[in-house]
Amino acid sequence: MSVQAQAKLRPLDELDIGAIVKIDERITGIYKPEIWEQRVAYYLRRDPESSQVAEMDGHVVGFMLGDVRGGEFGIEETSGWIERFGIDPDYRGRDLGRQLYGAMLKTFRARGVSAVRTLVDESDAGVAGFLGALGFKPSPLRALVMPLAEPRESR
Amino acid sequence: MRVDNTTLDKRYHDAVEHWRRHWMPDYDSLLENWDKYFPKDDEFCLCAKMELGTSDTVSIGEHTGEKKRLTPSELTEEEARHLLAIIRAQASTEFGSIQQHAGTLARAQDDEDRYWVLRVMAEELRHGYQMFHLLLSQDWSKASGGMKGEDMVEEVLSMGTGSHVLDAFNLDYDSFLDNICFAALIDRVGKYQLTMQKVCAYKPMADSMPPMLREEAFHLAAGVIPLRRWAKRAAQGDPFVSMQAIQKSFNKWFPRALEMFGDERGGDTNVKFGFKDMKNREAQDLYVEEVRRMVRDINLRFLRARFPERSIDAVEGILDRVERDGGRIDGVGPEDLLRLPDPRFFRRKGEPAWTMIGTEGETFTDADTYLRYLATQLADGYMASRDMKLYGDGLRKVASGEWSAQDATRRMPKLRRVGGTCPCSRSVRWVVDEPAAPSRPA
Repeated sequence: MSVQAQAKLRPLDELDIGAIVKIDERITGIYKPEIWEQRVAYYLRRDPESSQVAEMDGHVVGFMLGDVRGGEFGIEETSGWIERFGIDPDYRGRDLGRQLYGAMLKTFRARGVSAVRTLVDESDAGVAGFLGALGFKPSPLRALVMPLAEPRESR
Repeated sequence: MRVDNTTLDKRYHDAVEHWRRHWMPDYDSLLENWDKYFPKDDEFCLCAKMELGTSDTVSIGEHTGEKKRLTPSELTEEEARHLLAIIRAQASTEFGSIQQHAGTLARAQDDEDRYWVLRVMAEELRHGYQMFHLLLSQDWSKASGGMKGEDMVEEVLSMGTGSHVLDAFNLDYDSFLDNICFAALIDRVGKYQLTMQKVCAYKPMADSMPPMLREEAFHLAAGVIPLRRWAKRAAQGDPFVSMQAIQKSFNKWFPRALEMFGDERGGDTNVKFGFKDMKNREAQDLYVEEVRRMVRDINLRFLRARFPERSIDAVEGILDRVERDGGRIDGVGPEDLLRLPDPRFFRRKGEPAWTMIGTEGETFTDADTYLRYLATQLADGYMASRDMKLYGDGLRKVASGEWSAQDATRRMPKLRRVGGTCPCSRSVRWVVDEPAAPSRPA
């Protein structure tokens, strides 16, 4: 059951890295500070207002990262992209994901964005279900991948 | 969010470019490597960016509810003079920081760190350019005592490290550590000032703030992220960086950062005129708490690297205990971690100016004992600087009663360029400003 709890929402800043690393570690079990330092630097230098964090009890307990861009994959229209998000497991079920999305949507709209896009791993039912509940629908644009074998060592 | 980009008249644009060639010799390299270090980002634009669609109504002070002012002539003479001083100081800081960064930029151990700082420098150049746009796009002669916009621009471009408006911009960097700590501590004050000025009753100033703030977000990251990485390296025993060296740089910049807010007891005029939405002490207190968060964040990065097998909760517990009890826990003590200096430490302006307070709040009564103590808290290169010599001379006079604290603050010499404003002219001398004569008979 989802219980609405009002979080303090604000744009991401550089002091949120530690909290994001912690939330990610609690979700995945892997400590990856270097990755998050790079990602946060990326969003802060490109679009510091779009990405959002949620605070409760004086701590960052959720984050949603993304930016506004266009001209990729043949999509010329400027779109809002949601790329990473996470909610501290202790704070799930409080509608924080929806609140974070709402805050991002507000900044996207202020910038004239007409569509929000994301990619989802279909095998991750939780994330796919969350995005579906927000109103995301399958796009004709499909994600494709071709794994490359390691090059053989030449003799 | 819509932004209008404008450029200065060619002769002013060229003057900024000329200045840039002197102080940013790596600028071309930044542009050439932009896509490597900042893929997908918009190209750098040396232009003034004005946010469109902002509020037309004054939201604070004695003009609340009135229409924002669009020209200096709509301000009272006192308001215009006050705002002009803010714009001039802001412009000075932007160009000043570039000069400081330039001195040690090439000493960065890591190319990414260097290019991040280079981008910061380029964006500070744009911020200075933005302030020039404010100075040049309107007639400020009533507020400037007849000084023309072009003269004000020339004055700012002629400033060097030692002659800028604010003390934080008159200190040379001792190493690349200072580039990073400056971004983390001094740029953070910049963020506060820009945020406070978003409400400014002078609309062109308010409209200048949002684009500058967006860029400032990365400047803070360009300080904090390398600090996090260095904390990790220090924890792993890397001999090229230590928490003690970072601490000494913090001790150098934190007091100057606090002074950038202005005297703790002031700031009422800014609020009254509707130029800022916080008084000095209120903003400074928020800043101190934010720096405290930063210090904790960096310390946690250090401890996770020191104890890689332990959970974040365990490491947070260690930090809490060390902070609370001050003892050593599993071989880690307070001296191994970063500490926020007491806000009264090593101050020369504001409420605690020229008092002798240690980083932990301890008090000293003898000037030479305090100076010897400072030698243990600051980097050797900084202790050997002219700034410290002048500070020491002033402190001894205050301690002996020869000078009041106000005298000492006023009499700190400044470096002035003479014989031309082009940076090619290296003719400079230290001068002490005489107290200004009152503008009107008493």
